[in-house]
Amino acid sequence: MVFTEARRYYVERRIADRMAATASRTFADYFSYLRQEVHGEVEQIINAFTVNETYFYREDHQLECLTRDLLRERIQDRTAGGPIRIWSAPCSTGEEPYSIAIWLLENWPQVDTYDIEIIGSDIDTRVLEAAAAGIFGKRALMRLTPQLIATYFRQLDEERWQILDDLRGSVQFSRVNIVETRETRPQGRFDVIFCRNVLIYFDDESRRVAAENLYDNLLPGGYICLGHTESMSRISPLFEVCRYSDAIVYRKPREKRA
Amino acid sequence: MTAPEAFPSEARPRELELGVDTGSRDETASKHGGRKRILVVDDAALMRAYYRQALERAGFEVEEALNGLEALEKLLMQAFDVAIVDVNMPQMDGMTFLRALRARELPAGGIPALVTSTEAGEQDVAAARNAGANYYLVKPVAQQTLVDYVAMLSGAAP
Amino acid sequence: MPLIRKPQTAGLVQPDAPAKSQGELAKTLREGSIDERWNAARAAAGAADGLTLLRDALSGESHPRVREAIFTGLARIGTVGSAEAVVPFLRSDDSNLRTGALDALRAMPAAVAGLIPSLLKDDDADVRLLSCELARHQPAADAGRMLAELLAGEREANVCAAAIEVLAETGGPELLPLLEQCAARFSNDPFLVFAVGAAAQRIGSQAMNRG
Repeated sequence: MVFTEARRYYVERRIADRMAATASRTFADYFSYLRQEVHGEVEQIINAFTVNETYFYREDHQLECLTRDLLRERIQDRTAGGPIRIWSAPCSTGEEPYSIAIWLLENWPQVDTYDIEIIGSDIDTRVLEAAAAGIFGKRALMRLTPQLIATYFRQLDEERWQILDDLRGSVQFSRVNIVETRETRPQGRFDVIFCRNVLIYFDDESRRVAAENLYDNLLPGGYICLGHTESMSRISPLFEVCRYSDAIVYRKPREKRA
Repeated sequence: MTAPEAFPSEARPRELELGVDTGSRDETASKHGGRKRILVVDDAALMRAYYRQALERAGFEVEEALNGLEALEKLLMQAFDVAIVDVNMPQMDGMTFLRALRARELPAGGIPALVTSTEAGEQDVAAARNAGANYYLVKPVAQQTLVDYVAMLSGAAP
Repeated sequence: MPLIRKPQTAGLVQPDAPAKSQGELAKTLREGSIDERWNAARAAAGAADGLTLLRDALSGESHPRVREAIFTGLARIGTVGSAEAVVPFLRSDDSNLRTGALDALRAMPAAVAGLIPSLLKDDDADVRLLSCELARHQPAADAGRMLAELLAGEREANVCAAAIEVLAETGGPELLPLLEQCAARFSNDPFLVFAVGAAAQRIGSQAMNRG
């Protein structure tokens, strides 16, 4: 987020709102409150400054990185017909895992060579139900070309499109709290995990546990992608950092002989 | 109450052998209009501001990182001429950062690294050398001292 | 349109590890492979006496990833006892261990709160310096009080600098005289003079923006 002088009033007003809401007398009080992440204040202030939107092909540069770089690495030692497992967690209402599916079908020449499994997980069962239903409005589809929409969706009415059954059936959805090891463990190990814009909401302790869970859910050499403005430098030292084109992604180290 | 101690005379900077081939340093500057680019790696905001003030006044371009992990990310994405590296930082301390850095390919892995530390002991200097530091300065560092060492390490004109 | 097939994932799902006893966990933490120790460390926080398991493991563990998991376990336990188990590692010669310890204590602010005053009076200047960082995650009033007390008597410039770094963020104008005294006491320290100036400026501007 870039704030120019012109946005000063906007920022001041939002902070004043949060100070009033938290009964903070001074900015120092509010800042201290924020630092202790009391009552999810971090989430409140982030929500005050961002529009919580999700849509298809959001951050498509990461999807480009997925096919151009990450999967190319992952198939180095993979036999034809072998599995490729991708996890979208949290998946919210499904835009991200379905985007991955569509992107692979459209852009990855080897999409038929491997058994691709895409799983979407979220803590909220309501969004999971919506994701499984696969019905989206105009805003969610705004980045897709008419040709993509025609290929992968059936229009229900003026406002709603539904993912075609074949595609809907090939993304699995599961309820998972990524801080709960007994919920993350059964999901198995993945080649690539997309974990975008959720770790920043956690307190230090939960963030550590979630990072360790995600580490466990990766195959050696597997990748994890965070949100565009997020960095593991604020989260965990467990992962190696890699650059592919303009994207920073993180990797579970490969096994070394102990 | 006893009189406060006079500030001890500044410890002599510890010089270490330049053990790593740093490749062509001029390449970076030529891409950025001649100005050398310095990455300041320290979790203390005031320390970063202090270094920034000194370096910018001396004509350097400055970027900041709050810990070793963020520094590695920035080094992957942009070219720098010198890294100034604190030791005690969250997530990844300075020594761990240097070892990870030196394991990387050139040019990023070969960047000259100036460690700044509150520790003045021989074993601390030795640990820094072993981790891959080129020079070691004991905090507090005078602004002119910093500029002199950065100028030397970056090959900037005096 | 080619279909994405749903494969069998049997080979890739980790079998559910049977819960280990206290004794089994202790043995694994001593003798297991890296991955076994990692898993044991992660499970230890939920064991009957996780604190003992983790505290014992911490002193002998040298692999950074396993240490990270041990520190996380101690943070999850989050008692004064677990904070006390971590504090000694602030004194380590190994900067990686010091960072691990500080990160763990940062993740348990309630547990470490009562320990900070004595840490700020520790004989070791390095410990006092690192402990200023812990005050940052306490309520502003407490942090201000503890660090002001430190500043009034501190003789090491670098420790003062660490305290001022935190006070600049959360301090109020009542601290300004103390900061000025500090700058005067260490007038030969270029960074400290700068830090006091920057902190005073930040505190002053926050006071002006009071609601």
